[in-house]
Amino acid sequence: MDASEIEFLAEKEHVRVIPNFSQDKIYLISGDLGPFSAGLPVSIPLWLAVNLKQRQKCRILPPDWMDIDGLKDKKQEEADSRFFTDMPSPFYMEITQLLLQCATDDIPGADEVRTLIKDIWDLRLAKLRSSIDVFIKSGASHAKLNHLTLLEMNTVRQFLTKALDHMHRLKLCVSGDPAVQQ
Amino acid sequence: MAALLVSSGMTNNYFSLDDILASQETIPCTFNVKVATMGYLDQSTSDVDINMGTKLDLPFWLAKYLHKGSRGIVSVDTPKTYKEGYRHIFTADPNVVDLYRLGPYFYLFGEKLLSLQLPDTDDIANVLLKTFQGRFRNIMDGSQNALHSDLASQMEKLDVQERQLFAAGQQGLHEFQKWESRESEKLSTSAMVSNHRKRKRIGYIANAT
Repeated sequence: MDASEIEFLAEKEHVRVIPNFSQDKIYLISGDLGPFSAGLPVSIPLWLAVNLKQRQKCRILPPDWMDIDGLKDKKQEEADSRFFTDMPSPFYMEITQLLLQCATDDIPGADEVRTLIKDIWDLRLAKLRSSIDVFIKSGASHAKLNHLTLLEMNTVRQFLTKALDHMHRLKLCVSGDPAVQQ
Repeated sequence: MAALLVSSGMTNNYFSLDDILASQETIPCTFNVKVATMGYLDQSTSDVDINMGTKLDLPFWLAKYLHKGSRGIVSVDTPKTYKEGYRHIFTADPNVVDLYRLGPYFYLFGEKLLSLQLPDTDDIANVLLKTFQGRFRNIMDGSQNALHSDLASQMEKLDVQERQLFAAGQQGLHEFQKWESRESEKLSTSAMVSNHRKRKRIGYIANAT
């Protein structure tokens, strides 16, 4: 899977925007959007929000979790916990990335948000790596991980599956499986 | 068929180049019978025949079949790098060993050795697994962190399969980095198309002259 494919999935998440135009409902296969009336907040998918923002047709209201104090607490919680904590959005990284790219002016403290999200991401990846290491060293065949997001999984997917494949073969050797030793 | 698909990942595939290369590694063998007119294999004597008791390093693919069966033309010994002395080194600290130098196909060849029913088969199998588990952290951290720095020094101690693993980790990292710097959304000519155009142009010039 590609990071851009995951971004595509993330674009289905809804955000609230304040449009500066009025229009009736838009009927789409995925559901009806709108009606839009100037100045009234409306919830629309991220892809449309980004598009409208680029044409300066709306103002994006940042998601509730995207505020500096909340993220600081989240970062602390992530650092204190041995396990992965529940993220406010399964696509937190992608949404931040997209919103900070096109709507920097709508997000208070954009730079700090970016740094905090990146810090949380790094914390989680470091945690992921050390748990993978423990997993491999213990020689277990399965493990349970909660609250891991798709993008995080994707960064280690190829590597981890290959490594497990290799280890599985070596384990078959230890148990003397004739299929390997032909 | 299903079994074939499962094992075709990296190894044990008739068409796998790695598998073929790994079976070229040599094993110390002792001849149990006299083999006529094959003396030229042994560079150290000028005899026409290979005499009983001659010691030769034979590639795995040959040794395996000479060793097999009731005749047992040769008896095989454990290669040096899988013997007890080296096994101790691997258990002490797997990270300092240069597996590429010890045989670029350390794991694959080790797996193959197991089929020869050497007396220390179980120990070899255990050492292979433990070595990989011990070295895993280094491979992972190396491949997931080094972005543009010189990788040669990190990769030189890895055996071929570990290098493939390292490359997979690198690919994941690069893909993510590309996405993060918003480069993956830019459309660009695929390498195939631009190469194709180049080739066409060369062909055009060749036709004109």
